[in-house]
Amino acid sequence: MKKTYIYKLIFASMLLSAASSCKKALEINPVDTIEQSQALLTSKDVEVALVGSYSAFGSRNFYGGRPFLMADFLANTNAIEWYGTYEELTQTINKSLLKTNTFVDNVWADGYTAINDANNVIAAIAKVDAAKKNKVEGEAKFIRGASYFELVRLFSKAYNDGSPATNLGVPIVLTPTTAITDASYVSRATVAAVYTQAITDLTDAEAKLPATNGFFATKSSAAGMLARLYLQMGNYAAAAAAANRVITSNNYSLNAAFIDAFPAMGSTPGVNSSEDIFAMQVTTLTGFNGFNEFYGSSTYGGRGDAVISQAWITSTYAANDDRINAFYDDGDMFTSKYANVYGNVPVMRLSEMYLIRAEANVRLAPAAPVGGRTPLQDLAVVRSRAGLTTTTATLADILNERKLELAFEGFALHDAKRTQTNIGSIAWNANNLVFPIPQREMDANKNLVQNAGY
Amino acid sequence: MKKLLLSFFLSFCVISFVFAQDKVISGKITTPIAEPIPGASISVKGSPAIGTQTDASGVYKLSVPANTKILVISFIGYKSKEVAVSGSTINASLEEENTTLTDVVVVGYGTQSKRDLKGSQSSVSAKDLENLPVTSFEQALQGKAAGVLISAQNGKLGQGITVRVRGAASVTAGSEPLYIVDGIPITSGDLSSTSAPTSALADINTNDIESIEVLKDASASAIYGARASNGVVLITTKQGKVGKTTINFSALGGISTPSNHREFLDAQQYVQILRRAGDGAANQDFLNGDYATLAAAKAAYSASVESRLTRYSAGNTDYQTYKINSNWEAASFQNNPVTQQYDLNLTGGNEKTKFYIGGQALDQQGIIVGNSYKRYSGRLNLTNKVTDFIEVGVNLNFSNSINNRLSNDNAFSSPLQSVALSPITPFIDPRSGLISGTLPGAASNYPVYYNPFIGIDNSSYKATVYRTIGKAFANVNLAKGLKFSTEFSIDNLNQNEEAYYGALTFRNTGTSNGDGLNISTFVINTNTNNFFSYNTNIGDKGKFDAILGTSYQKSTTKYSTIEGQDFPSDSYIKLGSAATKVTATSNESAFSFLSYFFRANYKYNDRYLVGFSVRADGSSRFGANNKYGYFPAGSLAWIASEEDFLKTSETISLLKVRASYGLTGNAQIGNYSARGLFSGTGAYGGSAGQIPSQIANPDLTWEKTTQLDLGLDFGILKNRITGTFDYYQKKTTELLLNVPIPQTTGFSIKTQNLGKLTNTGYELGINTENFVGAFKWSTALTASINNNKITDLGGQVLNTNEINAAIAGQPIGVFYLPEYAGVNPANGDAIYYLNTVDANGNVNRTTTNDINQAQRIFAGNPNPKYIFGINNSFTYKNFDLSVFLQGVSGNKIFNAGGQYMSASASNGYDNQTADQMAYWDKPGDITLVPEPRLFYANGVGNSTRYLSDGKYIRLKTLTLGYTFTPEVLSKIKLSKLRIFATAQNLATITGYKGWDPEVNADYQSTNINQGVDFYSAPQPRVISFGINIGL
Repeated sequence: MKKTYIYKLIFASMLLSAASSCKKALEINPVDTIEQSQALLTSKDVEVALVGSYSAFGSRNFYGGRPFLMADFLANTNAIEWYGTYEELTQTINKSLLKTNTFVDNVWADGYTAINDANNVIAAIAKVDAAKKNKVEGEAKFIRGASYFELVRLFSKAYNDGSPATNLGVPIVLTPTTAITDASYVSRATVAAVYTQAITDLTDAEAKLPATNGFFATKSSAAGMLARLYLQMGNYAAAAAAANRVITSNNYSLNAAFIDAFPAMGSTPGVNSSEDIFAMQVTTLTGFNGFNEFYGSSTYGGRGDAVISQAWITSTYAANDDRINAFYDDGDMFTSKYANVYGNVPVMRLSEMYLIRAEANVRLAPAAPVGGRTPLQDLAVVRSRAGLTTTTATLADILNERKLELAFEGFALHDAKRTQTNIGSIAWNANNLVFPIPQREMDANKNLVQNAGY
Repeated sequence: MKKLLLSFFLSFCVISFVFAQDKVISGKITTPIAEPIPGASISVKGSPAIGTQTDASGVYKLSVPANTKILVISFIGYKSKEVAVSGSTINASLEEENTTLTDVVVVGYGTQSKRDLKGSQSSVSAKDLENLPVTSFEQALQGKAAGVLISAQNGKLGQGITVRVRGAASVTAGSEPLYIVDGIPITSGDLSSTSAPTSALADINTNDIESIEVLKDASASAIYGARASNGVVLITTKQGKVGKTTINFSALGGISTPSNHREFLDAQQYVQILRRAGDGAANQDFLNGDYATLAAAKAAYSASVESRLTRYSAGNTDYQTYKINSNWEAASFQNNPVTQQYDLNLTGGNEKTKFYIGGQALDQQGIIVGNSYKRYSGRLNLTNKVTDFIEVGVNLNFSNSINNRLSNDNAFSSPLQSVALSPITPFIDPRSGLISGTLPGAASNYPVYYNPFIGIDNSSYKATVYRTIGKAFANVNLAKGLKFSTEFSIDNLNQNEEAYYGALTFRNTGTSNGDGLNISTFVINTNTNNFFSYNTNIGDKGKFDAILGTSYQKSTTKYSTIEGQDFPSDSYIKLGSAATKVTATSNESAFSFLSYFFRANYKYNDRYLVGFSVRADGSSRFGANNKYGYFPAGSLAWIASEEDFLKTSETISLLKVRASYGLTGNAQIGNYSARGLFSGTGAYGGSAGQIPSQIANPDLTWEKTTQLDLGLDFGILKNRITGTFDYYQKKTTELLLNVPIPQTTGFSIKTQNLGKLTNTGYELGINTENFVGAFKWSTALTASINNNKITDLGGQVLNTNEINAAIAGQPIGVFYLPEYAGVNPANGDAIYYLNTVDANGNVNRTTTNDINQAQRIFAGNPNPKYIFGINNSFTYKNFDLSVFLQGVSGNKIFNAGGQYMSASASNGYDNQTADQMAYWDKPGDITLVPEPRLFYANGVGNSTRYLSDGKYIRLKTLTLGYTFTPEVLSKIKLSKLRIFATAQNLATITGYKGWDPEVNADYQSTNINQGVDFYSAPQPRVISFGINIGL
């Protein structure tokens, strides 16, 4: 009797466990993340994906700073003294990058992550509310265009080096990746094709973006990026026109003091300055100032690895140039531009636009200068803020002014290439001034061709 | 399916037995020295259903058929005996079994006589695990189970230990075995929030363990199906015993020291090599045309070097006279850290209720400053016979551990990284009277790096774990030979990690007013097993047993992390005081397994054995198409020594050959790896954002391993020599691989089933009784050879750390590096062999100073090919001595810290290893150390320069004990008293020049990234003394 009862109990429990065995027992869905198919259904979904695109775009390995820092390292002769132990940057400053350099790989990876994020937004643009559609699409295209521009000028021969129509650029991907297929193994497009893509995106972005948009990309951000891109291509007329559109938007103004163009020294997050046309946002919770990491002394949250040569400072800046004060002594000399671990990363400042317009006007010498301002007038705007008077505005003056004004902001390498200026004894178009295609990427994608010299 | 199961069970249940009984026999069963044996079974020969057991006093009473001629009397651990029936009183004494081969061993969902095993499993019993000053039981297991490679990553307490059973069976999915404690798959693996892993297994008290079985081949492990391909470790804890309650107390206390030191430059050498490095760099700058004259270049560099040396010499010129000569390496180790361990356990019971109660307090101080581990644990194992056919019980284990952890090997704050600091830097800055580098003062660039000793006093990282593993179970004897077992368990792990970095650690944390972290981890792992076991005789000679059951497991892990900065002062370390909260996150993730399993064994005439098992496993981790997998295994064995031609042999007491073949799986991947996912972690500038976080693979399925095992068990000279030998071939296909995909997709990896690898090998275990008698000497040897080879990776090369690779045709983790060719005698350049291969297959052995031009070669295997352990035990009168040696061979070690510490001062101001003084100085010098060239990175790229042989042999344990005689004991009213001294890691013979050849830097350890040293702490040498007292 007792046994029968127990048998029944056992069978009941077996049945129970078998019943619960149905699919439910194995159906466990993630709670931290959501399925791809559920991610981009509403206007808000796409808008938050756009914000996500900024976070990848602004990673320390991309517009958050490192590729600009690395470009300056490659162009360095005697300004930066490197005391760090990051082998990746030792290779960079020695102009002997290895294919396996992980910083190089990170630039590539994060650049394309930003592109894929933007592609997700662009592909789902139909979901966005009509009133916001242009803004969202414009921002995504700004991110994509700026990403392609940055990648092509680092990983490929300069636009003015040989034939951009045949020189290899970087792969172009314009659709979001939802599955890995044969089509995911993309070959390198030509330099010209990548520039064309970047121009298309940035032009479209400029057309669609609003004039003001908080700290997100604006019409002027896109125009400014186009100005920088056209200047790199040597298309001075287009560069001047684009820079002029930024200046005449009147949405930006130079700070009274040079130092105020940059985040205040310390560790308090701040807002963009009045001359920031575009800056990557850093807060205590998100973003990372990739310049501060190496240029900042440890008092200001950096590693203090990239010291600025006192001799270079003294020989580069006139004593009465206010910009000579944008360095601080913390055992060694450091640039004050990045002395804030939570400072926004300045990507594009108004003074660059004045210098682009001035340079293009000098080079083209049109009957009436673009913007109605002479190179001397534009140059004076930049120099007078630094407390200097301006008497001449030759091409050499303007190029030199770029060095003074934009030092350590990532311009040195790209200016050297477009002006065909050798770096020390290294030819401006030497192979070792171009990033290698990361070995990891070569291993993963057999359709890629390595750059010469690697 | 349900109906099928039901009818199957029913068919089992209808079998019942009825017999006429008409005669009563009673008696007492004892040991040869007349101690009663409770629980011995007595049955009628030929009718095993008629039987009973002895009570606590060894007495039995049994009704038998009138025609009964012979009774069979048996008890675990004793030789069975057949006694002729004459009269109504039959007393018998049983002799103890003196051979391990007839032991009963634990197998999946049951036990089996060791003699009847057809698979390959290694058994390690309590006596080989107890009384060792270890934190986690894996350390005690090292070298004691053939084919099981156990290696610690470093000498930090409570941290990651790698266990590989018959080699790594996976490339990027987990390769750790499945851990089952008393039938329950427990939470194992790493729950550390830092990049240095800890082990959830450390919550188990080694001294509570009765036995460890490592299931190695498919026939032993396939009953655990989808999670068995990396082997299964069955841990059985101590159970109560019938009889008077015995109380055992043990205490162990010891002192640890590092097992090795590494030599660095002294002040004079440091100054010399850096000055020379300045000159070397000046020469390069001059050759590059940066200076007009060499003299000008040298002057510039000299000024820079002297200024730096002044800085690192606390701003004075003491370095010129080498007045300060700091040994940072020695300072990283604590003075005489103490290990203490106290155990108290009680065992007892009667025929109805049995119990084991164990408690332990463990307090270990690590060899590295700031490192300690404490654990308090208790266990209750209780069984009760509710009726004559129902037994219920609980196993309850609770523990609390507190681990004061150190930063990972790659952190400036890891004490051993202080070896990079200059010997000319004083410990105490004379300018401030504080530890060098302490604020206020020259902290931002003095000393060379953040001084980890600041962190020792001003920071903490404490991991506190509360763990409860509880199991309730019932065994119901439904009919003769048929038993139903049900068990339900909850394994609950609560971990809290609290860190605080004080204001003075600013240079390390970048925050000037303190940084606090609080991370909570909560794992709840529930499991239920329900199964029938059945055994019967078939005819006179056949024996059959089977199990059939189901199992369901669900494990949910939740994390939350908060981090805050800006504390009023370092007196406030809780986050309520933090003015700025910088991190607040929470995560949750879960998985489940639903399984059905079946196993049947048949034995004929005590010599022919055949077995079959199958498990069906379903997991939430895989896509809808591939949720279930089926894992069958079969085995055969022949006990040849039972055959007539051997039965009479004087030499051969046992000869068994066996073969098994089967399929097992591996599911150690992320819980949601099959899915395409978006994550909400794309916030930017204060706005919420989402980003694609994972690419989908709906086809993802189990990694499959088929394994063939051929084995031989033997006993010679009345089992004075016993041994086991196995050959195995383990083939893993459809690897769960994190395949690098073009990053142009926006993703870098995809988890997919791609590739194959094999592990083949041999294992040998030999136990010998060399001397018996007054002087006893026994030897236990384990040795194994494993050949691991990846046979297919779909053309991928996995090489994330640029040191180890996974590549087809090579063992996993093979060192894939440019080949260092030494130094060009003419100019001091580091040179490398080109090793390019031309169309005809000729290798170009010319050299280059451009490491980029040198082809990478397969430079060695980080995983040992040969592992062995040998234990010699001696007893003479009351003394016992055991000497345990353990070692590995066939592997190499890469010193990833070499580019900083052995860089001939070409990579900054790091102090250098002593061997760097052999640097190239002038044309014609023949050396392997390139010319020092400050910041010129001459020869510091990853290459075979930093690779060395990793084989070692270690005197792992040396124990000398003395057991007091019964005469003495009776005077002091104790049942047992033993005192002993034991030494761990007393001596190591190795060619490796680093701290310790048992190494793999914690922060980077993966299946592939093995054998890498990066400022990793050596194993401790622990000298301890202990006492065992029995009441």
